[in-house]
Amino acid sequence: MSDTPQSEPRRSDDRSGADDATAAAAAGSTDAAAAAVSSKTGGIAGPPGGPGGVDGDEPAVARTVGESDEQLQDAWTDYEFDGDAKVSVSDLDTYYGEERALESVSLDIPAESVTALIGPSGCGKSTFLRCLNRMNDRIRGARVEGRVALDDRDVYGDGVNLVELRRQVGMVFQEPNPFPKSIRDNISYGPRKHGDLETGLLARLLGRDDRDAERDLVERALRRAALWDEVSDRLGDNALGLSGGQQQRLCIARCLAVDPDVILMDEPASALDPVATAKIEDLIEELAEEYTVVVVTHNMQQAARISDQTAVFLTGGRLAEYDATDAIFQNPQSQRVEDYVAGKFG
Amino acid sequence: MMRRVKRTVAARVTDPVVGVARSAREYRSRTGDTAVAVQAVICGSLGAAFVAFLVGSQWTVFPAGVFLATTVVGWRREQAATGKAVTFLMTVGTVGVLALIVAFLLVRSVPAVEHMGVGLLGRTADPLWAARDGGVYSLAPMLVGTAITTCIATVIATPVGIAGAVFISEIAPPRVRDVVKPGIELMAGIPSITYGFIGLTVLNQYFYAEFRTPTIGSYLAAGAMIGVMALPTVVTISEDALAAVPESVKSGALAMGSTPWQTTKSVTLPAGLSGVSAGVLLGVGRAMGETMAATVMLTHTKGFPSPVFDVFSQYGETLTTVIAFEGGNASGVHMSALFAGGVVLFVTVMALSVGSQYVEWRMHRKLGGET
Amino acid sequence: MGTATKTTLATGESVVGAVTSRTVLGVTAATVVLAVACLMQWVAPGGAVVGIPVATLLGGGLAVAGCGIAVLGAGSRLGYIETTPSRATSLAAGCVVGMLWAVSGGVATTVAVGGGDAWLPVAVVGGVAGALATVLPREDAGATLPAAAVIVGWGGAIAASGGGGGWTWAPAWSSAVFPGTEIVPVVAVGGALLAAWSGASAHAGFGAEGRQAGAYALVGAVVVGTLSVLVLLVGFVVLKGITPVLTGASLTGGTLGLPFVDAAVPWPTLPFVTNQTGGLYVTIPGVFPALVGTLWLVFGAVVAAVPLGIGAAVFLTEYAERGRFTQLVEVATNGLWSTPSIVFGLFGLAFLVPRLSGGNSILVGQLVLGCMLLPLVLLTCREALLAVPDAHRDASAALGVTKWQTIRSVVVPAAMPGTITGVILGVGRIAGETAPLLLVFGGAPYPSNTPDVLGSFSLMAQPPFVTNDALLAPASALPYQLYTTITAGVFPKDEFTTAAFGWGTALVLLAVVIGLYAVGIASRRYFRRKLHHE
Ligand SMILES: Nc1ncnc2c1ncn2[C@@H]1O[C@H](COP(=O)(O)OP(=O)(O)O)[C@@H](O)[C@H]1O
Ligand SMILES: [Mg+2]
Repeated sequence: MSDTPQSEPRRSDDRSGADDATAAAAAGSTDAAAAAVSSKTGGIAGPPGGPGGVDGDEPAVARTVGESDEQLQDAWTDYEFDGDAKVSVSDLDTYYGEERALESVSLDIPAESVTALIGPSGCGKSTFLRCLNRMNDRIRGARVEGRVALDDRDVYGDGVNLVELRRQVGMVFQEPNPFPKSIRDNISYGPRKHGDLETGLLARLLGRDDRDAERDLVERALRRAALWDEVSDRLGDNALGLSGGQQQRLCIARCLAVDPDVILMDEPASALDPVATAKIEDLIEELAEEYTVVVVTHNMQQAARISDQTAVFLTGGRLAEYDATDAIFQNPQSQRVEDYVAGKFG
Repeated sequence: MMRRVKRTVAARVTDPVVGVARSAREYRSRTGDTAVAVQAVICGSLGAAFVAFLVGSQWTVFPAGVFLATTVVGWRREQAATGKAVTFLMTVGTVGVLALIVAFLLVRSVPAVEHMGVGLLGRTADPLWAARDGGVYSLAPMLVGTAITTCIATVIATPVGIAGAVFISEIAPPRVRDVVKPGIELMAGIPSITYGFIGLTVLNQYFYAEFRTPTIGSYLAAGAMIGVMALPTVVTISEDALAAVPESVKSGALAMGSTPWQTTKSVTLPAGLSGVSAGVLLGVGRAMGETMAATVMLTHTKGFPSPVFDVFSQYGETLTTVIAFEGGNASGVHMSALFAGGVVLFVTVMALSVGSQYVEWRMHRKLGGET
Repeated sequence: MGTATKTTLATGESVVGAVTSRTVLGVTAATVVLAVACLMQWVAPGGAVVGIPVATLLGGGLAVAGCGIAVLGAGSRLGYIETTPSRATSLAAGCVVGMLWAVSGGVATTVAVGGGDAWLPVAVVGGVAGALATVLPREDAGATLPAAAVIVGWGGAIAASGGGGGWTWAPAWSSAVFPGTEIVPVVAVGGALLAAWSGASAHAGFGAEGRQAGAYALVGAVVVGTLSVLVLLVGFVVLKGITPVLTGASLTGGTLGLPFVDAAVPWPTLPFVTNQTGGLYVTIPGVFPALVGTLWLVFGAVVAAVPLGIGAAVFLTEYAERGRFTQLVEVATNGLWSTPSIVFGLFGLAFLVPRLSGGNSILVGQLVLGCMLLPLVLLTCREALLAVPDAHRDASAALGVTKWQTIRSVVVPAAMPGTITGVILGVGRIAGETAPLLLVFGGAPYPSNTPDVLGSFSLMAQPPFVTNDALLAPASALPYQLYTTITAGVFPKDEFTTAAFGWGTALVLLAVVIGLYAVGIASRRYFRRKLHHE
C-alpha cells in the first residue's frame, strides 16, 4: 500500500507518549466502553457528551494498549461532531451464511460531509456500505443484525419500502455500470421509474409529456457530475461507448438525478486512470456541499485528500477506528491502525 | 444454444494468398519432417477413403486401414502432430456432415424440380399430390400446413416461453428455480412421439368430441402440441440471454430504487432482447422441424383450408409429416419430391439458425460496449 | 429478492383494504381451479359442485372478484384506503381492457339484437371507451374500475347462462363449432386472470410496486400453467402405462441362477420389459427387442459422435486462430443443431443406406443419430473448453510443457465434466428420436427376436473382410416401436390392446429418457457445486 508521509513525523512523537500509558488505565477503559455502547444501542440520540470538537480531543482511555494484538476499544470509534447524524449504525452484525463479515459495528455519519471507509481488502467495507441501502437483501444467505437508521428511521424496520430507501440512499459501484441505453435514458431512468417524469406514448397522447423537464434534468445532472461538456452533443448515443471515467461520472449523474440524500460509493475510482480519478475526487468534494457522501477506498491518500472523517476497518469485519481524517492519519489511536495507514500491511 | 466466445483474438485481416503462403511457411518452419509426413499420410488416406466411400467402392477399406495404421503409429511416435491432424480432420468432418446433407438433399431433389418446375412449390390446382399421369407433386399444401402449425406453435411458445425465462432468471427465488429449470428442460426431453401419442388420444379426441371438428386431428391440436414442445427451447435460450446481462447493471438499477420488475422490464429485457429473439427464432425452427407429434396427430389429407386460418379443417399435412409418413415406401419422382420438401425445410431452418446467431452476436457486441 | 418488501396496502392501516384484496385473490384462484376442472372435464359445466351449480360458482366467483376490485379502486381513489398510485395506468393495460370492452360490447349486442351489423359500432365505441376509462383516470381508478366492469359483466353472463349448455357458436370461417360448455370455462379463466392482475396490483398499493405485483401474478400464473402441463403429461403416461408394464410382474416370481453354485434365488420379474414382442410362445409380450435396439442405437451414436465432437472442439478452441474458419464451423455446428431430425433421416437415406447396407439397418441408424448428437457434443465441449481459464494453459506452458501435453493433461480433463453432462443430456434427446428411424432403421413392427450384434461378426475373403449381419439388418427401438404400435392398428396378442401396449411402451421410453435427464441434470449440479466450493 501507499505510504502516508504527512503523518510520519507527528506519529512517532505521539507513539512514544502512548507507550508510557499504564495498564491500570486500560482496566478502567472497559466501563467507558460499555457506557459508549449502551448510549448507542439506546437509539440514534445525539453523540454522548454534547457537541465536541471535530478534531476530536482523545478520551483519556484511548491510548492505553501497546502491541498489535491489542483489543479494539469502543472509545476509538467514538467520533463526536456537530449536528445530528444522517446515518446512524449501531451494533451491526452481518453474516454470509455462517461466516461473519461485520462484527458489532457502530458508527454515526454526519450530514453533508465525506466519510471515507478504508481497510484491507476483505474486511467488510463493501458489505457495510451495502447494508446502508439494503443491497445485501439480494445476496442469498446474507443476514443483517443490529440497527441502521437514516434520519432516525430504522432502515431494517417492518414495512420499509426499499424503493423509497434507495431513492434516498443512492449508490455508485466499483465498476462503472451504465445501462446499455442512451446517455439521456440513463439519466432519466430513475426519475421516470419513480413517476417524477412522464414520457412515452401514453404521456404524449394525454398531453402530459415532460420532455422539457427531462431535458433540464438531464442537463442539470450531467453538469453537476462535470460530464455535460463532454457529452452534450451526443446524448442519444449508447452510454457503453463512453470511456471508463466518463461512464463512472455518468453513473454518478444518474444517481444525482434521483436527488438522494446520501450517496454511497464503493471504490468509485479504482477501475480508472489517474486523470479520471482526479476528476471523480474533485466531484466528490463538491458533492459534499449538498449530499452526505460515504466512500469506500483502498487508496489512503485518496481518503486523506477527500474525506472529512475516516473509518478504518480491520480484518474480521470490525471497526478499528473512526475519527476526523486528520486525526486518523496523523494521530491514530491504535497500533494496528497506525501500522495500516503507514502501509505496513493491507 | 449459442456459445459466447470469451477470448476475442482479432482475426488477422490479410490478403488471403499472402496469408496462406505465410502460414504455410510458418507451419513448415515449426514442424519436423516426420510430423509433416505423418500429417500428410493421415490427411491423404482419410481423404482417399472418403472418396472411395462416396463412389461406393468396395476398396474403401484399404485407405481407411492406412489411415488407422498411420494414426496408431503416429500416436506413439509423433503424438502432438497426430493429435493436431486428427482433431483438424474431425473439425472438417463436422462441417463435412453439413456439406453432405446439403449436397445430397439437392442432388436427390433435382428430378422433382425437373418434373414439376415451379409447380413443385406453386401448384394449387387438383390434383395436388398423385402418382397417376406420371406423377403430380405440389408442395404448396404442405407449405401452408407448415406455416399454420408453426404460427400456432409460435403464438403459444413465445409469450409463455419469455414469461418462463423471466421467471427463472429474474423472479424465482433460488429454491424454486432449482425445481422449475430442470422441469422445463425435462419437457424438452420427453420424446416427440410421446407428445404425439398423448395429442392423438387426448387433444384430437377432445377437439373432435367437443368442437365437432370434421376429422380426428386438426392443425390447431397439432400446432398447440408443437407449441408446448418448442417452449423449452425458447425458455432455455431466452433465460441464457437474460442471465448474460451483467449482474452489475441489474444492481445499478435496483440501487436507484427501481423495483425488480421495473429493472426486468426496462433494463434486463431490453439489454437481453437480442438473445431472447434468438431464442424465439430457434423455437420457431424447432416448431417447423417437429415431425413425429405432427405425423401421428395430423390427418395427412393434402389441401388448402378455406379460409386459410380455419385451423379445424379436415386438411392436415406439413413438410415434415409428408416425409415421415411417405418416405418409407416412396420412389422415383415421388421420393425426389420429398427430398425437395426436405430442402425447403432445411433452408428455412438454416436461415432461422443463422439469423438467431447474428442477432445474438450483435447483443454480445452491444453489451461489450460497441454501439 | 427483496425479502422485506412490505409495502402492502397502507402499511397496516387499512384492514378493510387488505382483507378485500386477499379475498379477491383467493376467490380468483378458486375460480381458475374450477374453470380448469371444467375444461379437463373433471366436472361438467352444467353440473353442480357441493350442491351449487358450477355456472353459478364460476359466475359468482368472477362477480365477487370484480366487485372487490371495484371496492378497492374506489376506496383508494376516494381516500379511504391509503395507496401509492401512479398518475395513470400503462398504455398496454389500456389496450387490453379496451379490447375486452369491445369484445364484450359486440357479443352483448349480437345476443341482444340477434345478428346484423349493429355489433360493429358498439364494439368500436366500447373499445375506445374502455381504453380511455383505463388510461385517463389516476391509476387506482383506471386499473380497477373498467376491468371490474368487464369481470362483473362476464360473471353475470356466465351465471345467467347456466353453464352454456345447449348453446353453440358456429362461425362461418371455421369447420368447428364452439359449444357454450367450453366457452364458459375459457371466459372464466380469462376473467380470473384479469382479476388476478388487477387485484394483485391493488393488493400491493398500486404504483411501481402494484405493477410489479400485477405482472408477477400473470407471470406466475403462466409458469404454474406450464408446470401443470408437464405434470399432466408425465402423470398421464404413467397412469396409462403402469398397468401394462406391471402385467405379470412380481418381486419374487423369477429366479436368478447363481454363478458357480448350482442354486437359484427368487428374483423380481418384469415381463413387459424382458419379453419379446412377437413370437409364438410369448404370453405377455414385451418391449425387450426395442429396448435392446435403443441401447445399440445410443451406444453407436455415442461412439461415433463423442470423439468427433470433442476432437473438433479441441481443434477449434486450442489450435484454430479465430477467424473465417472458426466462424464457419460455428455457424455450421449451430445450423446442424437446429436441423430438423427428419432431414437427417433423408440424409441417411440418400448417403448412407446405399453405401453401407442397401436398406434399413442398425448401423445407419447409429450413424444418423450420431450426426444429430455431434453438434451438441461439439457445442457443450467447446463451451467447457472456453470456460477453462487461460491461466491454466499459461501456467502449464510456463513449466515448459508442450502445447499438446497441456491440452491432454490440463485443458481436456478440466473440460470433461461439462462435456459429459452435455453428452448425457444429448443422449436423452436422441434416445427418444423417431423421425429418422422411420427412414433408415425400422424393421418389423412386432419383432420376435433381439438383434445379436456381438455374435454376428464374421470374416470374409473379399473387402471389407469383416461384416456383421445383425448390424446391417433393420431392428426395432422404443420410439419406433411406439410409432408402429400407434399406426399399425391391431395388436397381434390377446394380452394387451393396441393402446395398452402403446402406453406401456411410452412409459418405458419415458423412464429411459427421464432417467438419462435426471442423471445429466444431477451431474451438472454436482460438478457445479464442486466448482464453486473449490
Ligand atoms: N456475496 C457474498 N457471499 C459470501 N461471502 C461474501 C460475499 N460478499 C462478501 N463476502 C465476504 O465478506 C467479507 C467482506 O467482503 P467485502 O465487504 O467485499 O470486503 P471489502 O469490500 O472490504 O474488500 C469477505 O470475507 C468476503 O469473502
Ligand atoms: Mg469491496
